[in-house]
Amino acid sequence: MSKSKMTRGLLLTFVLTLVLSGCGGAKQNQETGSEGDSATDTAGEKVTINMMHLWPAGSSAQQNKLVSQIIADYQQEHPNVTIKQEVLENEQYKNKLKVLSASNELPDVGITWAAGFMEPYVKGGLFAPLDDLLTGEPLKDKFVSGTTEAYSMDNKTYALPIELNISPIYYNKEIFAKYKLEVPGTYEEFKQVVQTLSSNGVAPVALGNKDRWTGSLWYMYLADRVAGGDTLKQAVSGSGSFDDPGLVQAASEVQTLVDMNAFNKGFNGLSNDEGKAEFMNEKAAMYLMGTWELPNFTTNPDIPQAFKDKVGFFKFPTVDGGKGNVNSWVGGPGVGLFVSQDSKVQAEAKAFVEYFVSKWGEQSVTTAGVIPATKVDTTKNELPQLYVDLLNELNNASSITLFADVQMKPNAAQVHLDMIQALFGKAATPEQFAAKHKEAVEKGN
Amino acid sequence: MDKVMSNKWVIALYVMPSLLLIMGIIYIPIVLTGYYGLNEWNGIGSMTFVGLDNYRHLLKDTAFWQSAGHSLLLALFSGISLIGYLGIALVLSGRIKGANLLRKIYLIPMLLSSVAIAQLWLKIYHPTNGVLNSLLTSLGVENPPSWLAEPSLVLTALFIPIVWQYAGFYILIYYAALKNIPESLMEAARIDGANPWQIAVRIRLPLMSEVIKVTVVLSVVGSLKYFDLIYVMTDGGPNGASEVMASYMYKQAFRSFDFGYGSAAGFFLLLICLVATYLIRKATASKETIQYS
Amino acid sequence: MRTEAVIGAPPGRQYPGRLLLHKFGYTVMYIALAAVALVQILPLVWLLIFSLKNNQEVFGMAPFAIPAHPHWSNYVTVWSSGNIGRYFVNSVWITAVSLVCTVLLASFVTFAVTRMKWKGSSLVLGLFMVGLMIPVHSTLIPLFSMFNKLHLTDNPLSIILSYVAFNLPTTIMILLGFYYALPKEVEEAAIIDGCSVNILFFRIVLPMTSSVLATTAIINMIYNWNEFIFVNTFISSDKYKTLTVGVQNFIGQYTTDWGAIGATLVISILPILLVFVVMSERIVEGIAAGSVKG
Repeated sequence: MSKSKMTRGLLLTFVLTLVLSGCGGAKQNQETGSEGDSATDTAGEKVTINMMHLWPAGSSAQQNKLVSQIIADYQQEHPNVTIKQEVLENEQYKNKLKVLSASNELPDVGITWAAGFMEPYVKGGLFAPLDDLLTGEPLKDKFVSGTTEAYSMDNKTYALPIELNISPIYYNKEIFAKYKLEVPGTYEEFKQVVQTLSSNGVAPVALGNKDRWTGSLWYMYLADRVAGGDTLKQAVSGSGSFDDPGLVQAASEVQTLVDMNAFNKGFNGLSNDEGKAEFMNEKAAMYLMGTWELPNFTTNPDIPQAFKDKVGFFKFPTVDGGKGNVNSWVGGPGVGLFVSQDSKVQAEAKAFVEYFVSKWGEQSVTTAGVIPATKVDTTKNELPQLYVDLLNELNNASSITLFADVQMKPNAAQVHLDMIQALFGKAATPEQFAAKHKEAVEKGN
Repeated sequence: MDKVMSNKWVIALYVMPSLLLIMGIIYIPIVLTGYYGLNEWNGIGSMTFVGLDNYRHLLKDTAFWQSAGHSLLLALFSGISLIGYLGIALVLSGRIKGANLLRKIYLIPMLLSSVAIAQLWLKIYHPTNGVLNSLLTSLGVENPPSWLAEPSLVLTALFIPIVWQYAGFYILIYYAALKNIPESLMEAARIDGANPWQIAVRIRLPLMSEVIKVTVVLSVVGSLKYFDLIYVMTDGGPNGASEVMASYMYKQAFRSFDFGYGSAAGFFLLLICLVATYLIRKATASKETIQYS
Repeated sequence: MRTEAVIGAPPGRQYPGRLLLHKFGYTVMYIALAAVALVQILPLVWLLIFSLKNNQEVFGMAPFAIPAHPHWSNYVTVWSSGNIGRYFVNSVWITAVSLVCTVLLASFVTFAVTRMKWKGSSLVLGLFMVGLMIPVHSTLIPLFSMFNKLHLTDNPLSIILSYVAFNLPTTIMILLGFYYALPKEVEEAAIIDGCSVNILFFRIVLPMTSSVLATTAIINMIYNWNEFIFVNTFISSDKYKTLTVGVQNFIGQYTTDWGAIGATLVISILPILLVFVVMSERIVEGIAAGSVKG
């Protein structure tokens, strides 16, 4: 009896100390933070920062190691700070974030996606603005221009990107050589390539469209090349319309490709992993995917070097008479770090995010093959040629159109993804495709 | 006798802990789900009370009704498959050589998690190097179908692994029920010259009628709220051709951030289960429970 | 128990022609049974082969083709990355505790509902049945917020309570069918002999239902062992997570290590396979043994 009372008393004091120290620490850190250097905290009050991310040690060993190393370094420099990690895989991560936010229990630091995905969280006041970090010394002018905008709403930035991707069409040089094919510069030439491959019994393009966003990349590019990036952007934001003849034409081009057997058999029932396998096993000649696949074509030890040597890339070709240009890409920042608005250790969490993003930027390409959203010095690092080439393309990009399912608000994004599958499966006409999109965008959620 | 068997304290002691537990863990969420369904809520921040709007919308939502149709079809399919499981259990419980080993082997797939079963069947249905299409090709079938990509085939293609997944569950229950029938009853029938078929139909099946009723309810309710394999294998696609009520509910709540609407769909699913259970109980109600005599 | 002929009726009483037909029938039946057995064991074989492949081979080779160089390294990967030992221990004890609680509590309820006389017994039964009908995703947000208020998040108790509560309805339903079929005479005799209800329940009814208890125990074990949604939602510390988390360890943001997932699945199926074989023996003994002793 008395023993349990004592334990409870102890526990209470302990919790109180934690809470109080959390508050005290926060104030102190804000002061030092404003002076521009948070690294020289007065050590003392213990602070625990909870961080949730999606790089399990098994599947994302390098990312996981890098995170742990940055955390270890940070704790070394700030002995009063302990950072606790919770790791979940992608899908489970998103679900848990949702459940946590309903109870207002978000971790102090976590991973978010840009634009439409984060909007409900920002509107609900769950994410803290991070604009002061953008002007602070470690991160000032470090981001590739345009990347932080994807995370800003009402002129405030609510997360800092740590990933940047563009989507080239990877192709198998050997298969191209075998059928005497040239890298297509225009969409007409591309269709020629598709025709030749298809008539020779080779699947021209690897696609797993069960995941839907994979097919969305094709539509996005065609929409960009035919109607231009601005038309697309306006249609998504609601200031334009999906009725635009260019956008409808893009949708019907998708179906033309389907009719030409441009995609591997059964694509609508295959996951991206299964679709990708068609390219990796050299059954399909091309694969449109983000630069996150680069490790598979360069550094991944499980993939035979002979295959890696065969992989090249080209930019999505231009359409004759279309408004898009060849240096405009579909892609954008992938995940970013947010700080919870209700975090008891918000100031410390922000300081950690600042440290994390800058360290991540220095090392992520070389150690994990992840292109960060901060500028990468290609001359300083030893990188595989494919990386160097694509980083150069990234620097020359005229514009980057954000992935549709990230750009749109959650409900509209779901409608988009479902309609993509219907379009590819020829269960919807281009006009129906446009109408459903218009309806969803107008609904505004 | 009656006095001992109606001791209120004993009853309370036996029933209350479980009742309190499900009240807390199951009924609170049920009530809250019903309540969320009356609100417009994206799961974050404050809710807006909208009365029955979500339900009204749901009644007009063709995508929901399509998925409800798929769920009902699955329930029917699972219900019918019980006959097959009953047959297997009857055979296994008969006095045949090796029944013990066979039974264990038959039940092995039920130990596999949904993750494993989904991967297995994805490999079976793969359009080019899947087990099924390789077999069809070697039999001379040209251009066999892409099972999970054809809207007209996908539902049937999914029902087979779902029903198979639960085979072990029901065979196990039936087997245990059959083993529970006293040997003496069958011995007597055998002496009277009854053949195994007659013994099965006249003695064994009637004695396990309660168990059969229970499994019908379990399989129908389980099918109506089924989610796992569909989510992994097709994610409801293509174009909603394999969407079921639970996956639709999940998408609304967790992907479209329409938690109010998703909850309404979840609550509606519960109501459909209730009606189905009521109908089953009514259809199978017998005036007297069969007892050993 | 008995060492009789395989067929029910003694063969001497039958005509030779019928006997032949009979024999033929049994041969066909055995072939069919063996074929089904083969089909049922193939998934396990497939899983083993799957666990020895890398991604290239998982997608590139026929499902049952054995790779030229089996990747036993998948198992090394699984054992060396993450806290698989810790997860394993957690899975074992969480599964066991939930299972024992569920089966015992469900037996109490079923006994009270089917054997004892009181008003409201069918209402209570109905309350439990409704518990079958709620989709799990509807419960996550309310349950999390409740556990959070009770400070039970990141506590194994939250998953144990959830497992017991969500398995009670199914377990009660299964027990129900069996309790209805229990002969009343035994307990009548016991009560007349002056047994209390508790003694009747523990000494007579529980042993009599041992076969169905084994059945429900197996079903509960499989469910608890494979469950991951509650674990992911309610638990955040690595030290309380279970084996299903091991599978997710190999699912990445963009790529998934399928071979390692296969190896994890093989490792996690072995213990329940073992327990299953042992427990399923209990079913065979059935009511006969119990009632004779009673």
